Amino acid sequence: MNFNYLYRFVFIFIVLVSTSCQHTFFSWKGETVYSVNNQNWENEIELKGGEVFFTKTEIEIVQNPVEFQTFGLNLSNTFGEFEIFWDGVLIGRNGNPGKESKSNLTGEMWKPYKIPRHLSQKGTHQLVLKRSLFHAPEYKGLNAFVNDYDYLLEHPLIYTAFMHIFAGGFLLAALYFFFIFLGNKSEKTILIFSISCFLFFGLILMEFIRTYISIHYSQHQIRMEIISYLTFFIAILVPIYFSLQFSFPKRKVILLLYTGFLIYIFYRNHLRYDETSYNMAITMWFFSFAIALYGVYKKYKGALIVLLALLICAFINNIAYFDTSLFAGFAVIVLGMLYMLSIKAKEQRLAYENSLLQSTRLRLELLKKSIQPHFLMNTLTSLIDWVEEAPDKGVLFIEALAEEFDVLNQVENETLIPIIQEIKLCKSHISIMKFRKEIDYIWEDEGINENIKQLIPPAVIHTLLENSITHCLPSDENKMHFKLIAFTTDNTQEYTFLTFGKIRNQQKSTSDGTGFKYIKARLTESYGEDWTFTSEATNEGWKNTITIQK
Amino acid sequence: MNILIIEDEIRIAKRVERMTKEFFLNTLQKITSVQSLAEGLDFIKNNDLDLVLLDLNLNGENGFDVLKETVSGAYHTIIISANKHEALKAFEFGVLDFVPKPFNKARIELAFNRIVKKEEVGTENLQFLAVKKRGGIHLVNIDDVNYIKGAGVYTEIFLTNGEKELHDKSLEKLSQLLPKSFERIHKSYLVKTTEIKEIIVKTGSQYAVELQNGEILPVGRTKYKALKATLFQ
Repeated sequence: MNFNYLYRFVFIFIVLVSTSCQHTFFSWKGETVYSVNNQNWENEIELKGGEVFFTKTEIEIVQNPVEFQTFGLNLSNTFGEFEIFWDGVLIGRNGNPGKESKSNLTGEMWKPYKIPRHLSQKGTHQLVLKRSLFHAPEYKGLNAFVNDYDYLLEHPLIYTAFMHIFAGGFLLAALYFFFIFLGNKSEKTILIFSISCFLFFGLILMEFIRTYISIHYSQHQIRMEIISYLTFFIAILVPIYFSLQFSFPKRKVILLLYTGFLIYIFYRNHLRYDETSYNMAITMWFFSFAIALYGVYKKYKGALIVLLALLICAFINNIAYFDTSLFAGFAVIVLGMLYMLSIKAKEQRLAYENSLLQSTRLRLELLKKSIQPHFLMNTLTSLIDWVEEAPDKGVLFIEALAEEFDVLNQVENETLIPIIQEIKLCKSHISIMKFRKEIDYIWEDEGINENIKQLIPPAVIHTLLENSITHCLPSDENKMHFKLIAFTTDNTQEYTFLTFGKIRNQQKSTSDGTGFKYIKARLTESYGEDWTFTSEATNEGWKNTITIQK
Repeated sequence: MNILIIEDEIRIAKRVERMTKEFFLNTLQKITSVQSLAEGLDFIKNNDLDLVLLDLNLNGENGFDVLKETVSGAYHTIIISANKHEALKAFEFGVLDFVPKPFNKARIELAFNRIVKKEEVGTENLQFLAVKKRGGIHLVNIDDVNYIKGAGVYTEIFLTNGEKELHDKSLEKLSQLLPKSFERIHKSYLVKTTEIKEIIVKTGSQYAVELQNGEILPVGRTKYKALKATLFQ
């Protein structure tokens, strides 16, 4: 994803959420007093649950309704079943107060009530609720305000509609990245991202489900539990995701400590759901911010964008209401995560293209072995000499040369070949070098078994052989001895290549030579990180060991 | 002739040795063959040589370090190498010939003829003269050379900045290697013709040249005509 798009999207999002929260102010709410008989009012009351009680609250309407305007009373988040008396007039009923234990769950929590126009004038009005709180006697608080009735009906729907569009996006992202994960199960970050998106989708759904599904106050807690669990898991997954992208030392320990702390917050004041969710989100923010900061310090790709997203998130938190800031904040974080994925995808694509290039390069390197001038011209010069001086030997020389070319042609397109074929290649090379150097080269191998799979990238041992011929001197009897030992277990394949001879130049290191680079590149091409290669001088000559994890 | 072959391919070394013997016959005093640069350098240090036959790629080592050493010596160097693309660079350093592998008898004899017949290499590729100095070999760019004066078996190289360097090669051998812009004006002098300001004709058929820097060098009587021809072409 392009940074520009991210920026625009975030900007539009902020504008959207901040404008959608603006509404005109219509009323003041006074103190609420309680009574069991609608006569003796007290500031506090003890409820056993199920009994009828009354609340009285003064509401001051600060402006007169304009022509044809109807005011509505909003009692959202007020628990219980109740009848509403506005200036002594019954204007609405929510359930059957006092008969809860005998009747089904009726009534809902988010529903506006129309106020008759003649009772909507500017000034102080009396709101009395005849209430019962069978299912949650401890929640007797009252939340009331007056607003335009149409607005009270429409606004939650519009807000919900926007948030659901948003949720749909996250659902798609969750499914899309889950399918991508199914295609490549080693990509943990993609799975975490997919789950985070899905949890976020669930979170939005659970938050706004109240707009279109009637929720009885006794079911409110279930919804809040679900929301807080969703928040909890998001708060765990997001930092894990960032920690995978911007790896830091002692990651597991720190993540465990973080999770422990989050669990503490989760249970500390569990029933104060909004506060708990908010605290978990803030904890997550600080931890993610620290990770992103570390990422920037370590110059990880994309860390700066993530840091920026987190700062935007903090900014939204400052300007918006709790719900909005939670969702908008999460959304920006998820966008930051998405941006990281896109960076990773790009890196992977480049790495793949690179590996293709590297494979081609290695193939060329292999081909070059047989046509590079040092090998070819020296061989041809020796060959001419043999042909001129001893034609019958010259023929044998040509046959050896043909053999080496033949094997090279066979393995040219392979990335792994049976060790037997590699040995064939080495033996033909030795035959050629015998004619050129007039040294008695002796080949020996051990542990080669045609019945089990013993593989090696082409020309790896051949390269070691070439190095030995170049850098070692023959014995006093003009002999040089090579030995290849294959050692196969269920999990590993080890090849040890020994050269018995004197080393020409002890100081000269061959470890950074093109030969070793070829060997290492070939092993990486086929085995990734799962191999080791050592090369060292011994008392008798030289020892190379290749160990491959199967 | 005292000849050294530096070649790590035994079969090829033998071939070179055989062909060298066939060419020089009884003029050959000694021929030695070594397989590594270290041995080669050691031998050069301790022996007077007339010719070094050098392979540039030995046991994976780069022969150019040895090449600098050999071209600074009193003897000629002929390269026998598989890497043709290094020929130009070798000529820049001042080798007498570059014989690419694979070679036949005719090609190697062509190279040997340059020594025997004192032929000029006729190449414009020479870029540097390698001179031995305290602390190693120093490469003098021939663009900085005014003239060269023979001093017995050595030569003195006079540079445009007024300094002087000593070279182990004789004037004879250097004149074989230097490009055509250098003219032999006297049995003891090789001058870069672009540095000549004018020819001075003295009484009694004596000639001299004045250089751009005011120095006056003698011109051999037999060389005068050739010099005049070159300058007024």
